[in-house]
Amino acid sequence: MRTRLMLLALVLFALASPIFAQTPGTPAAATNWVAITSGFAMAIASGLCGLAQAKAVAAAAEGMGRNPGAAPAIRFALLLGLVLIESLALYTLVIIFVKVV
Amino acid sequence: MHHKEIWLVRLFNDYLPGLGNACLKLVGQPAQERPWESFVVMQILVAFIIIVLFAFLRPRLSVDRPSKLQHTFELIRDFIYGESKDAVGHDGPNYLPFFGTIFIYILFCNLIGIIPGFESPTMYPSVPAGCAIAAFCYYNLMGFREQGVGKYLAHFAGPMPLLAPLMVPIELISHLARPLSLTIRLFANMYAGEQVTVVFLSLTYFAVPALFMGLHVFVSLLQAYIFMLLTMMYVGGAVSHEH
Repeated sequence: MRTRLMLLALVLFALASPIFAQTPGTPAAATNWVAITSGFAMAIASGLCGLAQAKAVAAAAEGMGRNPGAAPAIRFALLLGLVLIESLALYTLVIIFVKVV
Repeated sequence: MHHKEIWLVRLFNDYLPGLGNACLKLVGQPAQERPWESFVVMQILVAFIIIVLFAFLRPRLSVDRPSKLQHTFELIRDFIYGESKDAVGHDGPNYLPFFGTIFIYILFCNLIGIIPGFESPTMYPSVPAGCAIAAFCYYNLMGFREQGVGKYLAHFAGPMPLLAPLMVPIELISHLARPLSLTIRLFANMYAGEQVTVVFLSLTYFAVPALFMGLHVFVSLLQAYIFMLLTMMYVGGAVSHEH
């Protein structure tokens, strides 16, 4: 049953190719793909940066809870890690500012 | 990234264009109508403020009755001393002047943007690039001085001479990536902080832009500290002797 459904889906996708035909005579409506992809790129970069920083903060908080005496060293490692992860998301932002008109 | 000219830059461009064009001619650039860029004028202002501050501090240094200004700068100096011992090792304080200069200069450059009527020179990519190139040249020069030119360059080959064809490109690229990452980190943080404040200022009134401005102050401090710390780590990597 499942293979039949997948075969049906495949045939429907193949039949949908007329979508790509433009009506004759339309001027090339230039969609600004750079702006669209830069929005997605920044969202992905910020999301992954958020995940990574959350992991760093969680590990640091647990370490400080287990060993309060080591708190200054852990805090230093936490801050260094957070800044370096943040800078990765900012590289994406810089590319966007350079490329988006 | 073309902002409106701030009042100090307009003064410089109105009354001192000849001096600006003479400086441009010294480096081979054609003369322009308004030669003073905003970040050049702001950097000159920051340097002037730092010089005046230290000229004010130096005669008032006293062992018996230190003033509040002396206390503040002793705190800063002890902080940088401790960090350099951690990051570079035992010889860290030999390089204290450069680390201290980098830290105070970038800190003042970042913070001057908070004052209305001025803008951070570190918001333009040229200024962090200059600081990063200075740090790059400094740590390599210290490596040459400490270990000799041949021995320092031999470190690029890695632990075993057999691995050299693999290690040399990797080491070269990672060394060249250091000033690039220093530049972009500082520039992007300062630029993004200012843009976020401006965007929220155009959306709403005082509370929310003020929050972002507070975050920008914290980020300025942190970025100046991180720049200094990474420079220390690079110097530490360059001058360390394998025992």
